Amino acid sequence: MNENSHKPKVTLEDLLRVKRAEQPPAEFWAEFERGLRTKQLAAIIEPRPWWAPFIKISTRMSRYQVPVGAAAILAITFLTVREYRTVELAPVYEPVASSINVAAPAAVSATPSRLAPVSVTSSAPQAVVAEETAAVPAASATTAPRVSTADLVGTSSHVAPAPAKLTPSARYIAENLAAAQAADPELDQMLGRTIHNFDNHSARTEPLAQVSVPGESRRSRLLAGNALMASASLGDSTLRTDERSSRRLSERRLAESDAVSHIELSGDRFSMKF
Amino acid sequence: MDAVKTLGKTLVASPERQVEADSDMDIVRRVQGGEVGSFDQLVLKYRGRVYSVVYNLTSNREDASDLTQEAFIKAFQSINRFQGQSSFFTWLYRIAVNSTLTHLRKNRLRTFFSFEKVGEDDKVSAEVIAALTDETGADRETFVHELQEKLNEAMQKLSIPHRTVITLFEIDGLSHQEIAEIMNCSVGTVRSRLHYAKQLLQAELQPYIRR
Repeated sequence: MNENSHKPKVTLEDLLRVKRAEQPPAEFWAEFERGLRTKQLAAIIEPRPWWAPFIKISTRMSRYQVPVGAAAILAITFLTVREYRTVELAPVYEPVASSINVAAPAAVSATPSRLAPVSVTSSAPQAVVAEETAAVPAASATTAPRVSTADLVGTSSHVAPAPAKLTPSARYIAENLAAAQAADPELDQMLGRTIHNFDNHSARTEPLAQVSVPGESRRSRLLAGNALMASASLGDSTLRTDERSSRRLSERRLAESDAVSHIELSGDRFSMKF
Repeated sequence: MDAVKTLGKTLVASPERQVEADSDMDIVRRVQGGEVGSFDQLVLKYRGRVYSVVYNLTSNREDASDLTQEAFIKAFQSINRFQGQSSFFTWLYRIAVNSTLTHLRKNRLRTFFSFEKVGEDDKVSAEVIAALTDETGADRETFVHELQEKLNEAMQKLSIPHRTVITLFEIDGLSHQEIAEIMNCSVGTVRSRLHYAKQLLQAELQPYIRR
């Protein structure tokens, strides 16, 4: 009991004082001074990296981290939404011409004059015009005349920006082509096949042609009507060519022919109402 | 008396510290004004204390020397950015502690001890060593070396934040407020860490503690 009372107290703090007493000798500081001087000079001479100013700026801007971050998020969100809406509102389908010329297929008959002329115009922005011959474009008061290869041969359907009027050279070519067709039906068929292939190719590549058109049923009706009409008037041989010509009707033209509201077939007559 | 002393230590910086901080600020302004040589005064004034903190955190004299030099270089490079919102020594300590913590985290698995000699100038430590030597009957040199090893082992068992707090408070004698500023945490956190660190150290150094 007495031994314990004579023992000096040693606390944790006393033990840590021992650690405090761990000090380097005097010569250590001379070496330390030399090393520090060398490093100090090296730090002065050493060029500052190019990104050093950015660190300085970011240090100053650190107090504005939250508002700057919020503003950046808002800006990104705004830009993203605007971009998305621009893409969404972009016109997927835009009619180029106010009139659509549905040319009668040249391959149906040997002579273009055998085709019944069906020229329909309406006050609606879209119209279907059946041209009697390629040489005489059925241009009405409301439909602007167009010139294209398909029109010249009188087969295919192309919607293109319409020129103001038919140029003399186009008229000359059309007249020559019509004469050639009249003289040589084989040439006419060959030209029709070529155009048909071109149309198929353009349908594959043209993005608009890949768009599903709401007038699918209307196209079926047209096909059926054309087929019946052809079988009634020309027989089986012309039926095949009629179907082929019907296939040449592009999706776009059918889509634009929404004005057709009724198709009627009776005997050898074919009528369309708008 | 001890309790009052401890309480005083935990309060905000004493008037002496304030005077010290003011004189440091004068030197800093001179350095900022272009008198680069004045920075040596600050080095001379604080090198021992900074070295002590870094040494007690790393338990390696070579690393402590390098890290202390690094801290002074960083302070010299950034002294133009020092605006006097805190005292210079708090700012310098913060640089030193952060550099040391980065070093310790990088070299977590590589720890080598190399000790300084225990000075005989400090009365308290001399008394403690004498008491313990008399009790065990061991040779003083051998006992001091053994005690140093045990103390450093116990310190290294602490986590880095706990080790930092105990070093700054018990060894370097900073207040809770100053430690909170240096470690960028609250005073409550400092107290909590200090309490936990002391508990762990007491458990580790139980054979040397006499009540």
